Amino acid sequence: MSNIVLVIESALVIGGIGLMVGIVLIWASKKFAVEMDPRVEEIEEILPGANCGACGFAGCGDFAEKVVGEVAAVSDCPLCDFEITKEIGRMMGKEVTEKEPEYPIVLCNGGVHCIDKVEYVGIDDCRAVMMISDGEKGCKYGCMGRGTCVRACPFDAICIGDDRLPHINKNMCKSCSLCIDECPTGVLVMAKESEKTHVLCLSYDKGKAVKAVCEFGCTGCRRCVKACPEEAITVTNFLAVIDQEKCTNCEKCIEECKQKTIRTANHTTGVEATA
Amino acid sequence: MADVNLFTILMDGIFVKNFLVIQFLGLCSFLGVTKATESAKGMSMAVVFVMVMASIAAFVINTYILRTFGLTFLTTIAYIIVIAFLVQLVEFVIRKNSPGLYRSLGIYLPLITTNCAILGVVVLNTRLEYTFVQSVVHGIAAGIGYTLVMLFLAAMREKAEVLKVPTSIQGIPHAFFITTMYAMAFVNYFGVIPT
Amino acid sequence: MAKMTFSGEIIRGITKDNPILALVLGLCPLLACSTTLENAIGMSFAAWFVLFGSNILVSLLRKQIPPITRIPMFIIIICTFVTITDMVMEAYAPPLYDQLGIFVPLIVVNCIIIGRAEAYANKNDLKYSIADAIGIGIGFLIVLAILGFVRELFGTGGIALYGFEFNIPIEPITFMIVPGGAFMTIGILMAMTNYNNIRKQRKGVA
Repeated sequence: MSNIVLVIESALVIGGIGLMVGIVLIWASKKFAVEMDPRVEEIEEILPGANCGACGFAGCGDFAEKVVGEVAAVSDCPLCDFEITKEIGRMMGKEVTEKEPEYPIVLCNGGVHCIDKVEYVGIDDCRAVMMISDGEKGCKYGCMGRGTCVRACPFDAICIGDDRLPHINKNMCKSCSLCIDECPTGVLVMAKESEKTHVLCLSYDKGKAVKAVCEFGCTGCRRCVKACPEEAITVTNFLAVIDQEKCTNCEKCIEECKQKTIRTANHTTGVEATA
Repeated sequence: MADVNLFTILMDGIFVKNFLVIQFLGLCSFLGVTKATESAKGMSMAVVFVMVMASIAAFVINTYILRTFGLTFLTTIAYIIVIAFLVQLVEFVIRKNSPGLYRSLGIYLPLITTNCAILGVVVLNTRLEYTFVQSVVHGIAAGIGYTLVMLFLAAMREKAEVLKVPTSIQGIPHAFFITTMYAMAFVNYFGVIPT
Repeated sequence: MAKMTFSGEIIRGITKDNPILALVLGLCPLLACSTTLENAIGMSFAAWFVLFGSNILVSLLRKQIPPITRIPMFIIIICTFVTITDMVMEAYAPPLYDQLGIFVPLIVVNCIIIGRAEAYANKNDLKYSIADAIGIGIGFLIVLAILGFVRELFGTGGIALYGFEFNIPIEPITFMIVPGGAFMTIGILMAMTNYNNIRKQRKGVA
């Protein structure tokens, strides 16, 4: 008999505690209610939710708030494909135009083709290497190849290949540009998918100095300038630069370039070049 | 009534019987939160606060309700209800008063409910039959000990990110090896305070 | 998506979704209760019983529980089984109960059990929830047993398992019994698992 009493007592006590807790929580949820524009939650729902910070804000929730607060532009999230951006635009009552996809390219052909001027022993990070007299490689403008960009990528889209240069996997890259922010030398830049021809070098050194350290560096010989039918290439300080607005990807400059510095941007689509 | 003085409880809780590395309480969120010092800071603050509040609330419920009705077997369930309630309350208050902190804590705040450390403190308070003051001091000590380990390990893991470590060891195994050495530092406290 | 089978779900709980090596949950009881093989086995069976009960009940009630209150409901269901386990162990296995200490009531916040209730039992019918409980339980038992075995063997120079004794001629290494050894052993175990996974990945790709 006392067992039944025990059961009833237990149920009443726990039930009572639960009821009190419930009442206090309902009161608290009203007292501490935060006025939230419902659009913030709606936008946050359709965002990819990677919380990568590429938009410049602290995660997807913050981005949604800033969009509704009209601080961030609707298209500021590089991970959203056009459908999602259009939807956000619709929620905010704004028009959105489609942007062409962009992927990082590496403006360097060095890697194993560029000599090391010193043997570096230290923290295995490009930023650390660059702090010691402009890096370990013969060319101070080039890629250090120690993988700072690899670690910066939240989507594992970059890997350092056997040539000691980064290779970007187009299928996995979400164009968040976090790698570009982390690269200390500036060889990583964004390029539109349609811009296929690039001068893969940033060296302002004179021709002889470049040839002494790198097999494929730009010497500023101007052969490409003469070859280009659109007059899209200019050489300043021994470095050729292609004006992508004028470039038609005819590849005449690639043929003419003796140093093989100008190439088509080649992103990988699979796990081919693993270190 | 436990015959221990408050200073012993304090030192015990922080060092000799550190909740994270000696008693193995609170490890699940430990790995996730120590990836960055910012989240470790936020989580520690929230945990200390909830530990103290939970110690107080649990003591009240145990002494005045459960003992009075002779229902001490309900301690586990009553305590977990109280902890869940406190965490939800803390979440409301933080969300209203400090949205930045709320965002940075993110998912870790509701995760405190299932944190073994909080339930561990209150269950230990009951088992060791601490008085009200002893329970509160125990809660504070546990919180401080937890904070010490969290902050230190977050700092170590942040620094360790640039180190070249074999891929199999990267991440969680690496964190465990760092914790091993830190734990051994605390093991040295065994027997310092005769218990 | 391959079709679910009863034995398939069991195997998945042991290998692909191993609670400790793959999901990295339930670390607290793992490290605290693996000082001896007996404790390890005792703890894993206690947790297994609770997991079983909780998976079954949550799966049966999943259509009835309103989504907004589901976490508190799960916790209360799990609590019931934990209190039962607590009382039964105190009565029928007092030495084990003393050894496991506060970790018996702490099974209620064991991330594995709540995790499976939320991620699996809440979404699947009774048959597969039982399979999941069996698989996850075996997975947990295996890792706990390995840890308990290694720590006891090297920490005390031998194994004492329910009356069966076995000694090896080494000097006991107390490091294995103290927290340091626990962290190191699980670190090594996880590194080995990672190595295995990476090797499988490389093979699959090349």
